[in-house]
Amino acid sequence: MKNRVYPFYFTLGAIILYAAFVVLPGFMGIAYSFTDWNSYTSEVNFVGLDNFRTILSTGENYLSYIQNTLFFTVWTITLKTIIALFLAVLLNYGVRRLSHLYRVVIYLPVVLPTIAVGLVFRSILNPRSGILNEFLRSVGLGALAQSWLVNPDIAMLSIVGVDTWKGVGYIMVILLAGLQTIPQEYYEAAEIDGASSTARFRHITLPLLVPAITVVTVLNLLYGLRVFDIVYVLTGGGPGYATDVVFTAVFDEFSKGRYGLGTALSTVLFVVMTVVGFFIVRRLTRDPIEA
Amino acid sequence: MKKLTFILLSLMLLAFGSVQAQDAVTLTYMASQGWVPDAEIELGAQFEAETGIHVDYQIVPADQYFTVLQTRLNTGEATDIFGGQSGVSDLIINYNVEANAVDLSDQAWVDLIDPLVLAQASVNGTAYGLTLWDVMGTTWVVNYNKTIFEENNLTVPTTYEALKATCETLLGVGIIPIFEPVASGWHHVLWFPELGPRYEEVTPGLAAALNANEATFADDPTMLSVVEQLNELYTMGCFGDNALADTTEFTTEALGTGQYAMGLTNLTGPQTIVADYPDVSAESFGFFVMPLADNQNLNINPAGPTKFIYSGSEHIDEAKLYFEFLTRPENLQYLIDNNPAMRTLPFAGLTFNLMPNQQEFLDSFAPEQRGTVYQTAVNYVNPQWMDIGQDLTAMFTGALEPHEVLVSIDERRAEMAQAAQDPGWSE
Repeated sequence: MKNRVYPFYFTLGAIILYAAFVVLPGFMGIAYSFTDWNSYTSEVNFVGLDNFRTILSTGENYLSYIQNTLFFTVWTITLKTIIALFLAVLLNYGVRRLSHLYRVVIYLPVVLPTIAVGLVFRSILNPRSGILNEFLRSVGLGALAQSWLVNPDIAMLSIVGVDTWKGVGYIMVILLAGLQTIPQEYYEAAEIDGASSTARFRHITLPLLVPAITVVTVLNLLYGLRVFDIVYVLTGGGPGYATDVVFTAVFDEFSKGRYGLGTALSTVLFVVMTVVGFFIVRRLTRDPIEA
Repeated sequence: MKKLTFILLSLMLLAFGSVQAQDAVTLTYMASQGWVPDAEIELGAQFEAETGIHVDYQIVPADQYFTVLQTRLNTGEATDIFGGQSGVSDLIINYNVEANAVDLSDQAWVDLIDPLVLAQASVNGTAYGLTLWDVMGTTWVVNYNKTIFEENNLTVPTTYEALKATCETLLGVGIIPIFEPVASGWHHVLWFPELGPRYEEVTPGLAAALNANEATFADDPTMLSVVEQLNELYTMGCFGDNALADTTEFTTEALGTGQYAMGLTNLTGPQTIVADYPDVSAESFGFFVMPLADNQNLNINPAGPTKFIYSGSEHIDEAKLYFEFLTRPENLQYLIDNNPAMRTLPFAGLTFNLMPNQQEFLDSFAPEQRGTVYQTAVNYVNPQWMDIGQDLTAMFTGALEPHEVLVSIDERRAEMAQAAQDPGWSE
């Protein structure tokens, strides 16, 4: 603290704005989750843990929304990381010609608006007229044609697939940056020692890429837990309630004017995100010191 | 001097510019898909030519509309005019019109509209909405392809068992029996509350008992049988393999190309099909009422998509002017003459445009065979329309039992009634 360049009060502006627009509303949201705040009456009454009891009761669907959110998060983290790692390694070491072009092409879906992607994929995945099923039928794989977004058994996986397609480029860019920080000499030394390519990947690339992988895991985790738009535009939470996630439910509660219950749902997710995020960030900040 | 002239000119330009800006009012109007016919947009252009007021139509997909509208109303960011389903409980629960909409009782057109229709757009005697909807022509009936029926020696089913047998015959010859666009979220719900006249026939006074909280949906055997029969139709493949992905936009193609033998459409459905498929004859379609629970009554709904002026709008007078323009007799007639889906309007002094067989069909029901649909006759049903749709879809996928669908309806009704401080639900 002795060698700080600027006095503390320089940060006050940012702190006040952050506190007023982020911290305070956050705490107010948590406080409202213990009330029956709704659009039908101007009275707001303290109801204790009633909203949380509703969320966690088996008679309601809320637990399945939390389950769906976790399913989406785990699968998107896994798929995006594995595919992005594969693509990053391929573009960094494997492909020499036009590698920049490939990077752009793979990154392109990231900059597309989610609503546009959703609408396009709704059409692609339409069981009757979608080009995916048309393609499968035309090459004799009609048996694989599915009701992608309307079969409750696979609808969530279809959403995961679309989201992975859209987001993998972003993760790839971060991992690519991580790969480029690994000194070439390590690989040369390993090669001289007779290490196979698998061994080089396992013992050099992966360990040195851990900080980057941690970053993408945190990003994917936070993104996955608060997913809304891609689900809303692809299935609207359907068929029935099969793909509803926490934030489609929050949106639904707010649209029905049940603000108390909506904020309680957000609070549950906030707690989950804070706990999980805390452990991952702790790990993230510990690694460089250990290294 | 030059400088002074420049300043004066600039001031004049500014003043002129501000007058221009004041004149160029844009009215925003948000509605669900299918609620604003092309003919109304054409009238909107004429309105702009006459008054200089531009109407910006914001059309939202049907499955998202109510959520988007309610969110915008609850956050105080609604458009100048917003569309909503009329029906007294909707007006109170869904739109809270007493706070969110402008009182239109003093408007001249209020005296010209059918009182039954106006009643559904009013709360406590105050008119809030303008219902420009073909109430009679939009009666929901099963439209069937006469050629397909004749080729397969089928007759109009008058009982549920007969409908089931018709479906089985059609499935046997490879024709998908009924087009049911479940993905739109609202259409498949029609099969249930539209049968109000049948519920009332089996249990006279049921609607009144439900409104007084002296009866429940879950305890009514007729309602349970309707939901079970609907589920059976779905599971036996009567709606085809694609029902959960189908949306209403595909209706004319489904019926116009003969891919499907039947479809639940408005009475004026054939005119809409012919507009898209001119080679198809409107006379090649016949009609029958939904025969679930052996229903043989005509379902009439005096409610429909309605326009409201948002109380927080900065252009209330301009919006009233737009309503006044639309309700001029020549413009109402224009809507009827230029819109295949709108063959009648609930205003006196207009020439209706129904086909003879449609008029005959309506005339074939004696007064005692006609009744009001339950989404209008029973409180707190229409505001949960999309929720019922989600529950029915969950039932189709096996996630809910038919009985649970009815229990959910009762629970939501109780919730809404308590919020509205309905005396029937006070403890």
